[in-house]
Amino acid sequence: MSLEPFNRLVKLAARAFYDDISTKGDNQPKTGRSDNRGIAVVVLDALTRRQWVREEDLAKDLKLHTKQLRRTIRFFEEEKLIAREHRRETAKGAKIFSAAVAATADGHHTKEGEEKVKLHTHSYCCLDYAQIYDVVRYRLHRMRKKLKDELENKNTVQEYICPNCSRRYTALDALRLISPDDEYFHCENCNGKLEAESDKIAAQEAGDGDDNARRRRREKLKSMLQKMEEQLKPLVDQLTRVKDLPVPEFGNLQAWEARAHAAGRGGLGDGSSNDPSKSSQGLGYGGTPMPFLGDTKVEVAFAGLDGKDDVKSETVSASLKVLPPWMIKQGMNLTKEQRGEVKEEVKMDGTSTSSTFSDDKKSSVETDDKKSIQDEYVKAYYAALLKKQQELEEAAKKQQELSSSNAANGDTGTSSTRQVGMKLKREDDEGDEDVEWEESNVAGNTNENYKVNDLNVQAEPSGEDEDEDDIDWEEG
Amino acid sequence: MFFHIILERNMQLHPRHFGRNLRDNLVAKLMKDVEGTCSGRHGFVVAITGIENIGKGLIRDGTGFVTFPVKYQCVVFRPFKGEILEAVVTMVNKMGFFAEAGPVQIFVSNHLIPDDMEFQSGDMPNYTTSDGSVKIQKDSEVRLKIIGTRVDATEIFCIGTIKDDFLGVINDPATA
Repeated sequence: MSLEPFNRLVKLAARAFYDDISTKGDNQPKTGRSDNRGIAVVVLDALTRRQWVREEDLAKDLKLHTKQLRRTIRFFEEEKLIAREHRRETAKGAKIFSAAVAATADGHHTKEGEEKVKLHTHSYCCLDYAQIYDVVRYRLHRMRKKLKDELENKNTVQEYICPNCSRRYTALDALRLISPDDEYFHCENCNGKLEAESDKIAAQEAGDGDDNARRRRREKLKSMLQKMEEQLKPLVDQLTRVKDLPVPEFGNLQAWEARAHAAGRGGLGDGSSNDPSKSSQGLGYGGTPMPFLGDTKVEVAFAGLDGKDDVKSETVSASLKVLPPWMIKQGMNLTKEQRGEVKEEVKMDGTSTSSTFSDDKKSSVETDDKKSIQDEYVKAYYAALLKKQQELEEAAKKQQELSSSNAANGDTGTSSTRQVGMKLKREDDEGDEDVEWEESNVAGNTNENYKVNDLNVQAEPSGEDEDEDDIDWEEG
Repeated sequence: MFFHIILERNMQLHPRHFGRNLRDNLVAKLMKDVEGTCSGRHGFVVAITGIENIGKGLIRDGTGFVTFPVKYQCVVFRPFKGEILEAVVTMVNKMGFFAEAGPVQIFVSNHLIPDDMEFQSGDMPNYTTSDGSVKIQKDSEVRLKIIGTRVDATEIFCIGTIKDDFLGVINDPATA
């Protein structure tokens, strides 16, 4: 979940592969002063401490010239390490980002973005951790393969080159290249003698293929391979460490901004991303507004969570929606409604005050006599509790069954929905039978209460589990 | 690798062949046309083993030729990457040697010949081990592994290696 191992991976990769990258063009003479090797590492390191960042801001922070930074960043974009986004934006757009940055409460960012609104096209960049992981692995694989292939001379198609016209051929062209006169291959263009291609790593100094040279070449390759394994070991270790971790994902710029914004607004409100009504309502803006706590790992956790969370909230609200028609249909007005009300009450206690909204639409009529009915109900409930001991036992049994099934099912969101559904059916049956069952319904209600609470209690750990599953799935 | 497959071809037959022997003529012409050809898709057609079906002929306007769609069974040979073949060396030079496995030509470049074999030029150019026990020259039989194929519409060319276990000379004409 943490960003740290990935940042370490980026830093190691930067030092392994990009520490002598110079972004100077070839036409510029390399003097000591303009030698900017190492900038690449600095930029990558800086990016590990940020998320989406406007390139001008980054340049300012790093005290680099924008052009220089941009060249470096373009290089990394080509290397697929960095995700970039360009946006033509007005003052307002720039402000959105600045606000988002401010919301991250990241110490590196200031609000100075607002002054720069005259510029129209802004570029943003961000590390693309998932891709970096793949890129580094692929790079290592290619290095190893090249060395090994050369070492074993396996499956390599020999290439030939014409020294005159520098046309290249492969061994597959051999049939066309043989000449009847001598034992060499001849170029199709200029009839010059072809030479075996020797751009292979170790072949440079060993011109002819005599025995000694070949042996030396092998040794050199071997030591090279060994050195590579040795020196890149920290990187490889870090790769294996990171392998099973969920990759931090910032989403695209807009989504990230939206999230950061929402966090800025909702941060003081509540830390509970489990609030179902909120997450179900807030879907409009590129993603669920989740509390964004500045630290990325937290954000990632919620980003993974919000999909599941929506499902869960939907199921909860669905159960709320299912209830009213049933109550109306049955026609047992008062008590049934009470039951609904009580359930609602418990809901409010359990999770959130806002969850009543959906129900309020339907039960706005009954809200007036809610309180009195409730009181009555409580009394009736206690009476029932005393009197109908055996029925309570029955209920307890059912409750046990339920809880056991609950435990058996594990604590996934789907199982909990199913239980709610089952519950509803059962109550339905009871409701049909008799008024006698009224009390048992009360008992059933306690059951219900327990259930709902239980559901809420379980929702949180299950959320975490699901989150992990989710990320795993994304990775695979 | 060899395959026994059914192929189809439209045969054009000259009107002079019409008569009792039309079918025989058609089959003879098919064999003459098809056997020994190479298609990139199916490989070399080695032999026609039977006629599956001859469709209705269609007389071409103006020429009088008749087109028959003919389905025939045939054996094809298609080399694959990674396949092990036995081949006869046809030419040896400094760059390596050429060998033939039936219709397919294979080139083995000198860096895919074991390191202990060296090229000896002369009347009979060859690759020989330092102790002279193994020699690759013209008409030697070698077992090799195909590491690359070049498949054109009408020809297939392979490159092979003998730098692996159990590959190399299997029958030397000099010692035989």
